[in-house]
Amino acid sequence: MEKRLIKKDALAGIAKKMAGDLLVWAPVKKEDNVLFEPMGKDGEPFFAYLNSKNAPKNVFFPHTEAMMKFTRTPKGMVFSSEENKSDLSVLFGVRPCDAHSFALLDKLFDQEKYKDAYYITKRQNTTVIAIACVKPPYATCFCTSVDGAPVASEGADILLTDIGGDYLVELITPKGEKLAKYFGDAKADAAADTRKNEIAAKASEAIKSKIPAHEVKPILDKNFDNPFWNTIHGKCLACGTCTYMCPTCHCFDISDEVKGSDGVRIRSWDSCMFPMFTKETSGHNPRSSQKERWRQRTMHKFKYYVDMFNAIACVGCGRCVMSCPVNIDIRKVVEDISKL
Amino acid sequence: MQNPYIPYPVIVDKIITEVDTKDIKTFRFKFVNPEDEQKYAYIPGQFGELSIYGKGESPIGIASSPTQKGYVEFTVQKAGVVTSALHEMEEGTMMGLRGPLGNSWPLEFLEGKNIVIVGGGFAFTTLRSLINYMIFGDNRKRFGNITVIYGARNPGLLLYKDELIEWQKRDDLNINVTVDKGDATWKGREGFVPAVCKEVAPSKENAVAVICGPPVMIRFTLPVFFELGFTKENIISSLEMRMKCGIGKCGRCNVGSKYVCKDGPVFSLAELDKLTPEY
Repeated sequence: MEKRLIKKDALAGIAKKMAGDLLVWAPVKKEDNVLFEPMGKDGEPFFAYLNSKNAPKNVFFPHTEAMMKFTRTPKGMVFSSEENKSDLSVLFGVRPCDAHSFALLDKLFDQEKYKDAYYITKRQNTTVIAIACVKPPYATCFCTSVDGAPVASEGADILLTDIGGDYLVELITPKGEKLAKYFGDAKADAAADTRKNEIAAKASEAIKSKIPAHEVKPILDKNFDNPFWNTIHGKCLACGTCTYMCPTCHCFDISDEVKGSDGVRIRSWDSCMFPMFTKETSGHNPRSSQKERWRQRTMHKFKYYVDMFNAIACVGCGRCVMSCPVNIDIRKVVEDISKL
Repeated sequence: MQNPYIPYPVIVDKIITEVDTKDIKTFRFKFVNPEDEQKYAYIPGQFGELSIYGKGESPIGIASSPTQKGYVEFTVQKAGVVTSALHEMEEGTMMGLRGPLGNSWPLEFLEGKNIVIVGGGFAFTTLRSLINYMIFGDNRKRFGNITVIYGARNPGLLLYKDELIEWQKRDDLNINVTVDKGDATWKGREGFVPAVCKEVAPSKENAVAVICGPPVMIRFTLPVFFELGFTKENIISSLEMRMKCGIGKCGRCNVGSKYVCKDGPVFSLAELDKLTPEY
C-alpha cells in the first residue's frame, strides 16, 4: 500500500485543489451543523468536527432521486429515459464509522443477482477519503462494539490519520491510488506507521460507550415473542428521525410524479418506523403497531442483517441516540436484550 | 449493468372481465420489443411489477403459463391506485412490466409426484399458471395424478370459467370446482373448500399439496391435510406482502430474514414455520 505524509495545514488546500477537477463532497459548516455538501471551487471545507450532523449516505443514496422519466402519448404514458447519471466525485473527510456504513450498504445494494444501478453507479464513481477520529469522541460513540474503530479504513479508499504535525495518507484501494498526485511526494516511513498504531490504540480506548452487539444475536434468534418488545416503543413518536439519521438504514419508497404531460419516477427515503410502511391495500398491516416496528428495526440491525450478510447493520455513530426526540437509546435496547 | 427498476414496455393486448362483479380482470400483455419476451422467461409462481407511469407499480402473480407463447397474463383485482388505473385501461394502451420476480412453484420438487392444488377465490391465479404448465403437451408425463380443488363464494366469482370447463373434459385431471352458495343455474358442487378437501380426500402417498387462498380458507384447510397425513414439507403456499422494489432492497416485505419478494413468495409450510409470524 502506498503511504504518504502531508502537512496538517495542507488538508483544506488539497480538498480545494480536488474541487477544481472533480465534484468534491466535503464537510461544510451550516449554522451550527456540519454537513457534507458539494464544495464548489470557492467552497471552504471545515475539518474541525467530530462528526457530521447527517450521515453522508445521501451521496450514494439521496433523500430523493429520479429513477426514470416518462411522457404522455396517445397510447398512454410511456417511458422516456433512465435517470442515472453521476459525476466523478470525491467524498472528502468522512469518519471511519460512516465509511464502514458504505461497506455495509454495498452488501445490500450490490448483490450478485439484483444490482441497484443507482447506488452502484454513484459508489463506483466516488472515491471515499476517510479521516480517522483521533480527538476525544462523543459520549455516544460506540463504533468499537460493532466491528469498527476510530482509526479504521473499512469502506474507504484513502485513510488520513493525524499523527501529530502530519497526516499519514494511506492509499488503500486502486481507486484511492488514482488520487495520489494530490498528496505530494513525501513517502511515509515506518515511524509514521508506529505512531499511527499508537494513536489508533489510544483512540479505541477513548471509546467508553460499549454495547453487547454480538452477544444479542443468539438471544434475538429466540425471542421474537418476548414481552420485552412491549417495553421500548411506548414513548416512540414514529417520527422516523432515527432511520433518517442512520448511516445504514436504507428503506425506500418509489413513487410517481406527473406535471402536465411529463412525469418522473422517484425514490425517496422511507422508514420502517412509519405505520403506512407495510400497510397493504386490504387494510392488513403485518407490523400493526409501533411495537412491531421497533422489533423490526432492532432485529434488522442486530439479527436479520447478520443472518443475511454476516454483518451487524450498525456502525456505532450514535446519531440515533443523539437525535431521538424522546431519548430512546439503541444502546440501552441492546443492553436490555442481552439480559433476556 | 442491467437496471432492474426499468420496466419492459408492453401493450395491453386483451382484457377479459373474469367475474360478475367486474372488479377482477385478466390483462394480456404483449411485449413491444419481441426480444423482451425471451428476457421475461418465467416459471409458474413468479410475479411481476405492473408499472403504470404516473400511478406507480403493483406486484401481481403471473397468471399465464410459460407454455403460452407470445404474451403474459395477470389477473388483477381492482383495489388500490395502480390496479384501479389498470382497470380503467383500454386495449392498445402502453405500460410497463418488470420481472419476472421472486422464486416459483418448486417444479423440480413437484416432478414425479401426485399434485393436489387447492385454490380459493381470487388467489387461484398462479395456481392456474401451474396447472396450465403441468398439463401442457409432454409436461403432463412429468407429474403424477393432478387433483384440483377450487372454490369461490358464488358461481359468478369463479375465475377462468372457460378453462375450467376444458379442464373438466380431460381424463388426466381430477377437477373439483365448488362454490359456497350456488345460484339458479349452478349445477356443480356446493360447499366450502375445506369440506370439499375432506370429501375428495387426496392420498398423501408421494403427494404435494399446493394451497393458495384467503387466510380463513387456509386456516381451515390445513388441518384437513394434516389429518390426511401430509407433512409440512409437502404443503406449499405463496405469501403476499406490500412491496415496492421487488428485489429485496426497499425493506417492506421481509418476514424475519427472508424477503417475500426475493426469497419467496413461495414457501413450504415447514419453511414458513421457521419464519417469524409477521405476515
